Amino acid sequence: MEIIEKIKTNKSDDNLTEIQKICLHKLQSSPLPNPKNELWRLSNKSKLSTFLGYSVNEKDSKFDIPYPKNSQSTIRLIIGENCQIKLIEKNYSIQQLSEDELQKYIKEQISFFKQNENWSDLLNLSLSCKNNILGLKINGSKIPPIEIFSHASSNSLKAKTLVIFLEKNCDVELLQVNLGKENSSLSQSTFFCLKENSSVNHGVVSYGENRSNLLNSLNVIQQKNSAYNLGSLHFKFNYARFEISIKQSAGNAKTNIKGMQITKKDEQISTYTKIEFNGPNGFLDQINKSLADDQSHAIFEGSIIVPKIAQRTDASQLSRNLLLSNLAQIDTKPQLEIIADDVKCKHGATISQLNEEELFYMRTRGITLTEASKLQLSSYFQEIISFIPISKDKWDLLEKLLNEN
Amino acid sequence: MVNENLVKDVVKEPYKYGFVTDIETEKIEKGLNEDIIKLISQKKEEPKFLLDFRLKAFKKWQKMKEPDWAALGYKKIDYQDIIYYSAPKQKEKISSLDEVDPKLLETFDKLGIPLTEQKKLTNVAVDAVFDSVSIATTFREELAEHGVIFCSISEAVKNHADLIEKYLGTVVPASDNYFAALNSAVFSDGSFVYIPKGVSCPMDLSSYFRINSGDSGQFERTLIIAEESSSVSYLEGCTAPMFDTNTLHAAVVELIALDDASIKYSTVQNWYAGDEEGIGGIFNFVTKRGKCLGKRSKISWSQVETGSAITWKYPSCLLLGEESVGEFYSVALTNNLQQADTGTKMIHIGPKTKSTIVSKGISAGNSKNSYRGLVKMGTKATGSRNYSQCDSMLIGDQASANTFPYIKSQQPNSEIEHEASTCRISEDQLFYLQSRGIEFEEAVSMMVSGFCRDVFNQLPMEFAAEADKLLALKLEGSVG
Repeated sequence: MEIIEKIKTNKSDDNLTEIQKICLHKLQSSPLPNPKNELWRLSNKSKLSTFLGYSVNEKDSKFDIPYPKNSQSTIRLIIGENCQIKLIEKNYSIQQLSEDELQKYIKEQISFFKQNENWSDLLNLSLSCKNNILGLKINGSKIPPIEIFSHASSNSLKAKTLVIFLEKNCDVELLQVNLGKENSSLSQSTFFCLKENSSVNHGVVSYGENRSNLLNSLNVIQQKNSAYNLGSLHFKFNYARFEISIKQSAGNAKTNIKGMQITKKDEQISTYTKIEFNGPNGFLDQINKSLADDQSHAIFEGSIIVPKIAQRTDASQLSRNLLLSNLAQIDTKPQLEIIADDVKCKHGATISQLNEEELFYMRTRGITLTEASKLQLSSYFQEIISFIPISKDKWDLLEKLLNEN
Repeated sequence: MVNENLVKDVVKEPYKYGFVTDIETEKIEKGLNEDIIKLISQKKEEPKFLLDFRLKAFKKWQKMKEPDWAALGYKKIDYQDIIYYSAPKQKEKISSLDEVDPKLLETFDKLGIPLTEQKKLTNVAVDAVFDSVSIATTFREELAEHGVIFCSISEAVKNHADLIEKYLGTVVPASDNYFAALNSAVFSDGSFVYIPKGVSCPMDLSSYFRINSGDSGQFERTLIIAEESSSVSYLEGCTAPMFDTNTLHAAVVELIALDDASIKYSTVQNWYAGDEEGIGGIFNFVTKRGKCLGKRSKISWSQVETGSAITWKYPSCLLLGEESVGEFYSVALTNNLQQADTGTKMIHIGPKTKSTIVSKGISAGNSKNSYRGLVKMGTKATGSRNYSQCDSMLIGDQASANTFPYIKSQQPNSEIEHEASTCRISEDQLFYLQSRGIEFEEAVSMMVSGFCRDVFNQLPMEFAAEADKLLALKLEGSVG
């Protein structure tokens, strides 16, 4: 209940937007997620209360993009800061959604929300004020890569919302970067709507600092013949949840997901994915990797739902996990729920440590244990990192991860 | 290719075990309270420790809530509308099979389990349980020569109270879950097996469970103890008559394997599944668990689940002993409106423990078939391994197949591998077989049998053949 009080005391009822009011109302019936709910069962309660403990502050402190240097060819946006954008070029256009469009779309999404599945979104939309909601309509092709930043300031709880419409036949590369400051909480909700024949290479890099927390929710709706490619990386968060919900609204769409989470110290990072095929000929290829070290806890839960209408769906899901310490733990639960009969669905999961035979082989070739482990880890990381767009040449994530190790 | 008309024309084989034996039975009144439990205990002339065990379990059960996490939908069970004890009336003491009511012997004859001296199955000792009581156990003397104790649990309570007191409830405690608590409070009969040190049981042991009355539940309890370096193979079969009402079956099976002991537990479950509209059928809520206490001990579960309207069953292994092994081989078939939520739990506690899970689910008609399993590596399970494989086959576009594997590891020096797939009967393969002159139904049956081969190979010979036939029979008319 405290969190609701906090939002309310911060603003009088009149200052709340209609969406905030609706979400607050829904949130009131379950101010905290039910620990009996499968999606929250493993979530660390005290870490969640730390997340909710920071003061709700709408004003952002000055934010400098820490790295890397901006290059001319990318479009950079910071949610909550320079939200004004209108680019109309020969091949493409990027415009802000009008207030009406934004309201209508979010309200429609809220009507589909399920209390036990969309708690993070409800919290986000209750907290998110007008300035912290960015809505974009992207059209055309040969669009320069787009980078969108969300950040939280120290000792505060921030909510940022991003809504993106990809118009028909549009093709874009987009990198979302969520940055956590020391002792901060960031609630990020993203709503993606991919119209027919559109395609996106979407990257999500969430990089925390000491004791930062993150609730990251991603809702994607894919129309016919759209292609959604997601590469994601979450690391250095005291507590982070990445909730992905993808709906292929009429099937005939392609989804590729490659995600990774790395936990150390006493961190807990979890990924929950739900992929629904609401039409025939859907395709999914998903791989999720976790690495848990020290006393940390990594969680993956992925469900694939194939109703009767989704004949000829081809879906595969793989959860690969590295457990590197005696005190760390990994939970993984890939799920299939299938009613259609003419489908190809499979999933796999493994939990192990670094392959000893490979290490031995490298050591017999004169490579030191540390180097050999590094080599193994870099190949483990590389598969995911190479799938994150834009980052390749600028962010040098691999170097960052290996040095962290 | 798939000829729908042909399929529709196939006459569905009725459930051939659906007959009712007309026999005078002794039933107690419906409902569940402390007095009923005392009455059951009194009827069975039980020692005080067992009555206390029951009453304690009942108190726990009253505080518990029926689990709702399984992917099952069924109408609420009224626990006060069930008869908790029902037994065929018979003479006070039965000293030999000749004194058993011939109608009962005839019933088991009809079920293919002859109990009489002349006809009894060679090399399989059978304990036949009819409603709440055990009717007869064959080959007892032969087994006794080897020191093997095989009798109904009621007898064991009287004759081997020390063993019962020592082991009952140690693997599945009364408070384990709702249905285990209910069973602990009201269990009526079941089988007891004790294999002494160093003995390899000379023949397969078998229990056959038969529910006869429509308004009474069956709550049997099985306890198998394998001492050091002993081994046993145990088979379990079950059938019930066709009633329009749902009958509750809540059993508990506890296995204990000490150093170097091995227990193989096979089940062919063919309770009445209800009719095509989903009316009637058995609600099967079973808790089965084995404890590999000793070093290098092994517990292997194999099951063919074809019956019951509702199946809720997770045969599990607690792998405590160093280098102990757990296995689970399962075929679960659901048709019409059947629902099954079944799987296993492999809890690796000791070092160098190994487990294998092979689960095959086949869903046809409007049925729902879920695999739910847990593999857990504890902090001390260094050098442990698990391999799981869960395959589902869907027949028809109304059936559903779900897979929910829970995997948890706290030990870096262990390996877990899990894979699952879903497919249908391949039309190409079907066409190929048909073009070679094999009838459609037979071709389907061959393919299903091939799909389940990994599991059938684990079943004892007699069961494997029966299971194969059973699947073919159950699937008749469901492909199209």
